[in-house]
Amino acid sequence: MKPSSLLLFCCLFISEIAVAQLERRTVVEDRDVELTFMAPRNINIYTIEALSEGELHYSIMHTFGEVNTGYQQFWGLDGGASVRFSLEYAFTDDFSLALGRSSLDKVVDLTGRYLFIKQKSSGKIPVSVAANASVGINTTDLSFVAEPYTFSDRLSVAGSILVARKFSDKFSLQLSPTFVYFNRVGQELNVIDPNLNTYAGLGVSSRYKIRPRTAVTLQYVPTLYGDTSNYNLAAGIDIETGGHVFQMFFTTSRALNDQYLIAGENGNFFDREFRFGFNVNRIFNLKGR
Amino acid sequence: MKKSAGLLLLFITLFSLSNVHAQSYVSEDGYVEFESNAPLLTFKGISNNLTGLIDFDQNLVDFYVDLNTIDTGIRLRNRHLRESYLETDKYPFAEFTGRLTTDFDFQSAQPQPATVAGTFKIHGVEREITVQGEIQLVSDGLLLTAGWTVRLEDYNIDRPSVVFYELAEEQKVSISITLKPVN
Repeated sequence: MKPSSLLLFCCLFISEIAVAQLERRTVVEDRDVELTFMAPRNINIYTIEALSEGELHYSIMHTFGEVNTGYQQFWGLDGGASVRFSLEYAFTDDFSLALGRSSLDKVVDLTGRYLFIKQKSSGKIPVSVAANASVGINTTDLSFVAEPYTFSDRLSVAGSILVARKFSDKFSLQLSPTFVYFNRVGQELNVIDPNLNTYAGLGVSSRYKIRPRTAVTLQYVPTLYGDTSNYNLAAGIDIETGGHVFQMFFTTSRALNDQYLIAGENGNFFDREFRFGFNVNRIFNLKGR
Repeated sequence: MKKSAGLLLLFITLFSLSNVHAQSYVSEDGYVEFESNAPLLTFKGISNNLTGLIDFDQNLVDFYVDLNTIDTGIRLRNRHLRESYLETDKYPFAEFTGRLTTDFDFQSAQPQPATVAGTFKIHGVEREITVQGEIQLVSDGLLLTAGWTVRLEDYNIDRPSVVFYELAEEQKVSISITLKPVN
């Protein structure tokens, strides 16, 4: 090709660019992966899903009696509910504190959640990682116990590292090794071994979206340290209604906080020793735009 | 050789002439909002990342916005908007490409009614639309304002019956952008 015609070609090419549409570019190229789970909880276990700064998360959780009690007990609903109320406030986009109260052993807990690694849409960071820590105070009247409980006897702690990955729009999986310690244990507490202070378990949580706002959830919590034949199994459904997230499930444990989920007793799922339960999650924004 | 050199000269002249009179205007920080008026809830989503081009020579009007930038004031709602309504992973942009069907008088400083016709695309669905607005010659370029209504159903944006009282079927979209001349 002659140099002049090459030049002509270049000119044509440049003018062609000049009339073309704008190139489509996203403002942020590598976004954080969002909504790995629908709510800060998946059945009974906290998820890596953090609140944003200034948001208040109100949740009510319930579990009822065992389903195998049949019609006379209306499949467990007459048994009275184990309930946990909690309010959680986010001080930053990654850090929040929750104050909760569970009816099981009347435990008031203060829980901190910190999300410190966020999965990226490019895959450069393949997982999100969060750390949770919780201190619980047993507020039951324990005056009937021969040796009285001191304040510190009533304390229990739980700590967990949560590693989650959103594998696709539909499927997410989280592993949360959890360590639990009770300052004092005994027959009077709802733990599986009245002589064991330390427990550890592995939380396995997953969700699979079957519709844009509906997901099937699963939870499996084998005991790593403690009575290893004791494990939690639960299955449920999450429904997002554009403001609330409703979570309905069947679980083998009454427990609604980390300490008792790991250290508490579970029924055998396959003997229908599971309970109906549901959570209602609502997030408010206290800061405005 | 001589012939093609002459042709080249002619072309370059034409090309630079068209550059001298280039009437292209662009901006990357235009304002766009949508307003949802449902029985129980009215809310707005806004973005200041509207990117636009008007090229009077080619009569090309080209606008797009990164839907990830839309803020409704509640971040959880933003996340749900992105994930389960607009599906921004798959369809990150709302786009309009078309042409002006009205003339623009560069001698007037008054706001002038303007109509554009072209293709609007959101959520992977393209539709031909006509939008009316105003264009005004201002000191730093052109001020363009326009508004129209987007029906979610037209663009296959699923609106579950459970939330009908919180999200309107018809969304009022309006834009305001100051386009600066390109040289």
